Amino acid sequence: MAQTAGASVTFENVTVRLDGVTILDNVNVSAPPGKRSAIVGPNGAGKTTFLLALLGQVPHSGTIRIAVEGGRPVRIGYVPQRLAFDRGLPVTALEFMLMGRQRLPLWLGRRHAHVERARGWLAAVEADHLERRRIGALSGGETQRMLLALALQEEPDLLILDEPAAGVDLNGEHVFCELLEKLRRDRGFTQLMVSHDLATVTRHSDWVICLNRQVVAEGTPRQALTRATLTAIYGPHMGLADIHELFHHKDCDGSCRT
Amino acid sequence: MPDLTLLYNLAGHLLPFDCMQAAFMRQALVGLLLLAPMAGAMGTQVVNFRMAFFSDAISHSAFAGVAIGLLLSISPQWTMPVFGMLVGVGIMAARRHSALSSDTIIGVFFSAVVAFGLAVVSRDRGVARDLQRFLYGDILTITDAEILGLIALAAAMAAFQFWGYNRMLYIGLNAELAKAHRVAVAAYQYLFAALLSLVVIFSVWAVGVFLVTALLIVPAAAARNFARSAGSMFWWATLVSVSSAVVGLLISAQPWARTATGATMALVAAAWFVLSAVVARGRGERPS
Repeated sequence: MAQTAGASVTFENVTVRLDGVTILDNVNVSAPPGKRSAIVGPNGAGKTTFLLALLGQVPHSGTIRIAVEGGRPVRIGYVPQRLAFDRGLPVTALEFMLMGRQRLPLWLGRRHAHVERARGWLAAVEADHLERRRIGALSGGETQRMLLALALQEEPDLLILDEPAAGVDLNGEHVFCELLEKLRRDRGFTQLMVSHDLATVTRHSDWVICLNRQVVAEGTPRQALTRATLTAIYGPHMGLADIHELFHHKDCDGSCRT
Repeated sequence: MPDLTLLYNLAGHLLPFDCMQAAFMRQALVGLLLLAPMAGAMGTQVVNFRMAFFSDAISHSAFAGVAIGLLLSISPQWTMPVFGMLVGVGIMAARRHSALSSDTIIGVFFSAVVAFGLAVVSRDRGVARDLQRFLYGDILTITDAEILGLIALAAAMAAFQFWGYNRMLYIGLNAELAKAHRVAVAAYQYLFAALLSLVVIFSVWAVGVFLVTALLIVPAAAARNFARSAGSMFWWATLVSVSSAVVGLLISAQPWARTATGATMALVAAAWFVLSAVVARGRGERPS
């Protein structure tokens, strides 16, 4: 498993308009290389659009720069919010890992080298026991781990996660984030994650971008997640929660939430 | 034109039945042995992409393909596949660049090509009678030229399924994820649309407009129920498709049956599907 110094991400004057509606408005922001950055904001703030613009899947104006040392092409791994797929499709977890890597068609067999590598990635996310299971029969948490393995298989400089723990219970979310942190320490990739859960963000990120169509604040969790910022993006009721309690509970067992 | 007699004789030896003594039956068998595996393999992808309506639209573009041939005084053997391919690629382009739902876009193309075809051929009642061939299909009148066309298409299809099967599976599961992980989604989708259009048009000659979907969808649906992996799904679809075609051809030629070949093939495939649903139910799975 190759080490990377991680990619840096910079948005300069990025605007996304879809069907006449401005989803992102003149966004200027950066994510430091090799760090865990989180994007927070209310529903409709443009968080997923931010990621899709980064992936080149929505048209935008302005400049998005993703760079790694040495100027080689950047490898990106992507974990979507949930995998919208046909659950009746008879694809096993191992085949799911192979379909993007192996050229020999699966109907002619599996190449040993690819299989061993795929098994290694499934083991890295503690999902090696799932390799023979049909992906339609996996639970939400198992599917997310398999998607993480698929993204890591790209040996990414930048790992993009769109609410990867949505639909997973609190303990599952905590386990997922701990696993992700261990892998990031080993591999060194830059992590960019959208999350709704401020407790997860305070515990599992180094850099926070508060988004509500525009960038409201960015910085370390303590710098960015102030009462004023949260009130600005979530509304006045958010001010009732003392955000500093989240930092006091930073060592909680994962059950802390706003 | 190359002599295909050897191929036809080989087909006759494969199935040493009385009905296979006739030359047209041997030609039909060769045609089906070329077409059925293609329909089976493409069918699994049509089902994965939920594009059954797409293949319907292409098959109905056969009318317009004939009409254009009439207008330009060109044989429909040329205008049908070319026009079908243009419609297929056009639908794919519109799907990729429009905010309208896929069904709506296909519906618009479907209506336009059928209306155009019917408007032109309705001016000539003689041609309207010939259209029956396209409605019901007639594999028993397949020509050497059509067999050669099928051989060329089968070679292109084999290359596509070898090179692209795994990536097509990826795109069928989730195109956004595949694109994020550097799969050339657009190229695969356009190539798939073009090849599928050609398979559909050849299938129209074999089984008719009404039953093209049966040839593509039913073996693929049965394969989903039988298969326990993506690799085996391909082989199950091929097995169901080829066996349905061969058994359908043989049954339709029996004196006690005397049924339309295309319809008989579709009925055999439907029987396979029922069996597959029972097998899936027996394994405790919810059948497709």
